[in-house]
Amino acid sequence: MNCEECKYLLGAFMDSELGEVQAAGVRVHLAFCLACAHVCEDLTSILDVCRSGSPAEIVPPNSQALWCRINNIIESEAKPPAPVPAEEPRGRFWRMSFLQFAAAVLVIAVISSVVTVFAVRKYTQPPADDFTARSAANQTTFEKLLGRVGLIETPAQARLRQAKEREATIEYWNARVQARRIQWNRTTREAFDRNLRVIEESVNDYTAILQKDPEDDLSGEMLDSVLNDKVNLLRDFADL
Amino acid sequence: MIFRSKNRFCPPSAAKTTILLCVVFFFALFAGDVAAQRRFSKNYPAGQNVRLQLINHTGTVTVIGWNRAEINITADLEAPAALIVPQNLSGTIVINLLRDNQGKEVGSVNFTIRVPYTSMVDIETRIGNLSVSNIRSGLVRARISTEGDITLTNIEASAVSAENTIGDILFDGVIQDGGSYRFSSMSGNINIRIPFNSSFRVVATAPSTRNISFGSCANQNMNYLGDGRRIVGKCGEGSATMSATNQRGTIKFISR
Repeated sequence: MNCEECKYLLGAFMDSELGEVQAAGVRVHLAFCLACAHVCEDLTSILDVCRSGSPAEIVPPNSQALWCRINNIIESEAKPPAPVPAEEPRGRFWRMSFLQFAAAVLVIAVISSVVTVFAVRKYTQPPADDFTARSAANQTTFEKLLGRVGLIETPAQARLRQAKEREATIEYWNARVQARRIQWNRTTREAFDRNLRVIEESVNDYTAILQKDPEDDLSGEMLDSVLNDKVNLLRDFADL
Repeated sequence: MIFRSKNRFCPPSAAKTTILLCVVFFFALFAGDVAAQRRFSKNYPAGQNVRLQLINHTGTVTVIGWNRAEINITADLEAPAALIVPQNLSGTIVINLLRDNQGKEVGSVNFTIRVPYTSMVDIETRIGNLSVSNIRSGLVRARISTEGDITLTNIEASAVSAENTIGDILFDGVIQDGGSYRFSSMSGNINIRIPFNSSFRVVATAPSTRNISFGSCANQNMNYLGDGRRIVGKCGEGSATMSATNQRGTIKFISR
């Protein structure tokens, strides 16, 4: 017999309800197993108390209050039941007023139109084309309107801004060229001056045209191009 | 006698001295020329898809395509002679005189480079003429920072770019389907000689002269913009794109 079987049969053994063979087995196990023997002693002492003492000695005073306290502790430790989600009435989403429905349709129509216009424009125009750098003739009515309101730059304003930015670049490279040109030979110096003069003549021509007609997009584009050429020339000669 | 004898031999001695001085002067002059003009030559084995990348300071660069799998570089260097250090970087021959002679005064260098005719050619100079001929590849690019003529002859490349400030540009070649062609000058003449049945879209701009001549390429698909300063049009199917801008000169299309 092992300890499990012994503990299982111990209650019946104490009440003398086991057969002779099983009772002998339990006795033999208790004789050799100290742990089971302690359990048996504990049970025996409990049974002795129960048999000998009056119920008043066992039951604590004011047992009802004790049970109430135990009950309160159990209730407070018990988790509150999860709130049952209130079932939403079905079809509420569709229960919109006519005005709400019309507004939703209008918003969807406006968004899809704007997306379509931008997509078509992006497809039909070169990808690198910044709309502020485009000519006034190529601008859409919407862009012109935004430009008038002041929300976006007009092509003329964009051109002015780019020219100012480029002036700073030109000043930087020009300073480097002036520092280096003393080391150039005469041929290089003359060639540089001659070519810079031609570029500056073009810059002056286009600037004069744009002062007369700021909407002349072709001159604006050419001015941009020659200023780029000027930057390239200065950069090329800055390291010689 | 002795004095008479001395006097008698004096004129022949002066003549000898003069001749001797002339000879010395001649050799000195010749030696000076030799010192002033040096020659550089180098050969590289090359595949068919080699790329030549050259940046020169001053001088003429001539690139010629040939039917050999090698690159031949020769250069005549004027004093003070520049240092030439070609590099072979995984199929690209790089010659950068500006980098190799940084901060030094150098004389003109005139290059003649022979490359396989399928090579990509990318050449650049600060001052001087550029010439490329007999090239059939993906790229021909020629750029002069300041002044000099660009001559591109017998070119069949899908991307061609020629750019200078003062000087003429001549392109004589074939427009390839889907190719890209860009010619830009500040002052000079741009001449484009192509087959009459070429197919391309074109934007030609000559703001100062308004002198744009399409010759036999002209058709009703040409739009004149900005009072004739720019012509935008299409020849044939228009599968290639061409841009020609001449700020102060003319643009002329010539039929091949």
